[in-house]
Amino acid sequence: MNWTAIALKNILRRPIRSILTVAGVGVAIAMLFNLLEFQRGYEKGLRSELSDLGAHIMIVPRGCPYEAATIVLHGGKWPRYMDEEWYQIVRGTEGIEASTAIIMDAIIRDGGRENLIYMGIDENYPSLRQSWRYASGDWFSGTQAAILGSSVARSMGVTAGGSITIEEKGRIPATEVTVAGVLERTNSQDDGLVFLPQHTMQQIFGLQGKLVMILVKLADVTQTEQVTAALRSASAEADAGMNIFPLSELLGTLTSLLSSTRVFVLAIVAVAFIIGGVGVLTTILMAVYERTREIGMMKAMGAAKSDIFRLIWLETLFTTIGGGVAGILLALLSGRGVVALLKTILPHTPADFALGMSGSTLAICMGVSVVLGVVAGTWPAWRAASISPITAIRGGSS
Amino acid sequence: MAIRNLWRSYERGSETVHALAEFDLTVQPGEMVGIVGRSGSGKTTLLNQIGCLDRPTTGQVIIAGTDVTALPERELVAFRRDHIGFIFQLFYLLPTLSVAENVGMPMLFARAHDRERVRAICERVGLADQMTALPGSLDGGDMQRVAIARALVNDPALLLADEPTGRLERQARDEVLDIFDDLRADGLAIVMATHDLEQAARCGRVIELRDGRRLEHAYEDSWPKAHCAT
Ligand SMILES: Nc1ncnc2c1ncn2[C@@H]1O[C@H](COP(=O)(O)OP(=O)(O)OP(=O)(O)O)[C@@H](O)[C@H]1O
Ligand SMILES: [Mg+2]
Repeated sequence: MNWTAIALKNILRRPIRSILTVAGVGVAIAMLFNLLEFQRGYEKGLRSELSDLGAHIMIVPRGCPYEAATIVLHGGKWPRYMDEEWYQIVRGTEGIEASTAIIMDAIIRDGGRENLIYMGIDENYPSLRQSWRYASGDWFSGTQAAILGSSVARSMGVTAGGSITIEEKGRIPATEVTVAGVLERTNSQDDGLVFLPQHTMQQIFGLQGKLVMILVKLADVTQTEQVTAALRSASAEADAGMNIFPLSELLGTLTSLLSSTRVFVLAIVAVAFIIGGVGVLTTILMAVYERTREIGMMKAMGAAKSDIFRLIWLETLFTTIGGGVAGILLALLSGRGVVALLKTILPHTPADFALGMSGSTLAICMGVSVVLGVVAGTWPAWRAASISPITAIRGGSS
Repeated sequence: MAIRNLWRSYERGSETVHALAEFDLTVQPGEMVGIVGRSGSGKTTLLNQIGCLDRPTTGQVIIAGTDVTALPERELVAFRRDHIGFIFQLFYLLPTLSVAENVGMPMLFARAHDRERVRAICERVGLADQMTALPGSLDGGDMQRVAIARALVNDPALLLADEPTGRLERQARDEVLDIFDDLRADGLAIVMATHDLEQAARCGRVIELRDGRRLEHAYEDSWPKAHCAT
């Protein structure tokens, strides 16, 4: 027999009350867990998306950089364009290993429920895409050709050698192109795109001389700052409306966008902890009150103040640690739902994104449960330790 | 065990109530002393003093050669744990712990848990077959046996019992007193407060309290056993 066993048995004495208390803590811990994992998964997802781009610096037309980032990362209809000539300014800048210019547009079908994104690329694009492999076919065989991402190809049911039709839409005439190549799965946005030769796309879509983005790969990543500065001054000199930002900076802006949401969620989590903590405090205080005589008897038998203090403290700790474990389980079970909910709230979420279970999050959640137990248990434990055996037992014999 | 000129007074409003006054008592090992008196006469107050649960207003309590009134709180707790056993009218057993765990609990306070000792004590009070039972499944007599075993587990020199049989049926009452006789024969000193004169009759010595004072003319040493046999 030991103190741990006694404490556990005491908790089980009132199972329903204990379960409710544990659940209160559990909800708070689950919220904290999801918050931490969300942030981690978000940053990780974003980072991998950005590294999928294979570029270090992104150049887009002036405008909202968040919007730009979302469109760059997920594809979409572009609100602004850059002049094709500006690409020459970029190419002439020192320190650049490779660069590619991109034109992009989307054809919305089914009243907006589905859209097919076309991307006009030049021969430099594959050099930024280390993961490109052809499942069939190869690079554009002629001007009227297309390369399909794996999932587009699958949904259209075509392979290299077949043909697809770009649907008529407003200024865009119906155009048939042959499929020069089909890509293997890349697990990036490329899987859902239709690639066209840049000039072909500009012609078909009526976007002659226009670009939406230039991606730049550096020879030396440590030179990011210098190259960015050089590009910016070159852009200013030529009076070009280019928005030049390194992707490392983009990561920062997107995560800081998240932090405003996080403050709000953190406030809710704090409230949940206060509710859970007060629940623990009152439960333990009630238990101490109910067991006054019993505790008095223990003191009469020679239990020191520290013995009683420790017993009540242990009971509190076990309650909150139980809450911590329950909360983590709850978080793991509810993770998907939470992600779905947050995706509707946040302006940009990485495409490939799930809540995981990291060691640091587990450690923080368990640490918080322990601290909660220590804090909520001190006052009741002190009260219990101060019970006078004579008054406690006198109350019993009358 | 010796008490010298012990007073315990309480302030009640403007007046001072002497729950215990001018009290002297000596108890030898192997002796069983009965404390009788009306309700409010100071029996519990006396046991609390002897049991180091409360400190006297003035006077001395000496147990096994130690003046416990001079001990600091910490040492007093340890002294109580190691030298004194308590039994109450209500048994105060922990309902979630087995008989053996209840009995062994005071050893936990002494950080010296010993299964064999628990088993031996349980056998001694006749609980050998119920060591794994929960208190809720026992009758009153057996619950008091558990309380007695618990009081004895740290091998005290002195056993204090406050109305130990007040809640028990006649037969269980007699059995508890049989256990006391047995313990006394082994050299344990017992002080028992009781309302019940018949039980007091089984004590070697009986002291009557009235308003906190010892009645000198009481039946001490010459308790007429036939007197209460009716
Ligand atoms: N904490 C206290 N404060 C004030 N008065 C007290 C306190 N404890 C005891 N008394 C008083 O001391 C006197 C003796 O009480 P005590 O409990 O010792 O009597 P008792 O003989 O044990 O009675 P009973 O047979 O009812 O158990 C009573 O008058 C009681 O009111
Ligand atoms: Mg009393």
